[in-house]
Amino acid sequence: MNNQFLLDNKNIIITGASSGIGKQCAISCSQRGANVILVARNEERLKQTFLQIQPGSNLYYSLNITNYNALEKIIEESVDRLGKIDGFIHSAGIEMTLPLKMMKPEYYEKLFSTNVISGFEIAKILSKKKYSNNDASFVFIASIMGILGQSGKVGYCSSKGALIAGIKAMALELANKNIRVNCISPAIVETEMTKKLFENMAKQTKESIAKMHPLGFGKPEDVANACIYLLSDASRWITGTNMIVDGGYSAH
Amino acid sequence: MKIADFLNELKETLEIDDVGLNEETNLKELEEYDSLSVLSIIAMIDENFGKRISGQNFQSITTIGSLMELIGMENFE
Repeated sequence: MNNQFLLDNKNIIITGASSGIGKQCAISCSQRGANVILVARNEERLKQTFLQIQPGSNLYYSLNITNYNALEKIIEESVDRLGKIDGFIHSAGIEMTLPLKMMKPEYYEKLFSTNVISGFEIAKILSKKKYSNNDASFVFIASIMGILGQSGKVGYCSSKGALIAGIKAMALELANKNIRVNCISPAIVETEMTKKLFENMAKQTKESIAKMHPLGFGKPEDVANACIYLLSDASRWITGTNMIVDGGYSAH
Repeated sequence: MKIADFLNELKETLEIDDVGLNEETNLKELEEYDSLSVLSIIAMIDENFGKRISGQNFQSITTIGSLMELIGMENFE
């Protein structure tokens, strides 16, 4: 395999690393030779993920990432221990399905603080010279829902759309440091989060959603593989894009 | 919660103006009932009773009385 597709000795920080897509990204990145720094709220699950990654120079931090003031400290400590950061995956995210009339300001704030602001804050900190290498790559896990609408998802869709819009500005701003910034927009991937989502749905609704995915629902690996590409040197000319990984969902 | 208050909450959630609701009313036969209104009712119950009802549980609901049983009759006076 061409070495450009590997992540040998790259230091990669991953939020939402204890479950779903984030967890798979941690496992897949470490299999490709990266040192990973896992960040998530749930310490128990985080430890379990930590046991599943390749042994090596890895770290984990149990932290609520909306506690913005605590972010720089863990990045500083990671850089002290492993060296400068080469990659960042923002996979932490919460989902909410609620009709517009039941939405409240605090629900939007909750969605945006986890899905968007915490990721942008980490990118801000990492963009400092002392914390990241010149050719670093940031990847935000957005969603196909950031482009397409769905009833009951005004909050979720707008938060993911904010990522897709925000990374373009960020890509332009950080290009002079050779830092690349991209999004990945998956459709429905089989994770704990979507399992919960389906529990709240009638069987018919679930079946009709399944039909909208020509290649079926995705697996966390499908998204992790796209992440690896965007973090690797093979994608050195790609920035400011939103890579759609949706099994054909948006081809309709 | 008083049953009359609960019926009013339901009317407000479903935006029903002129139909009278009672415990015998079949929710699923109401014109205003659809998959999104289920989410609204679930949110309303969560807010008023601190109880999360899953969409799957909701499938067994027919009348407002059966919804009240799912919430727990001890919550009503």
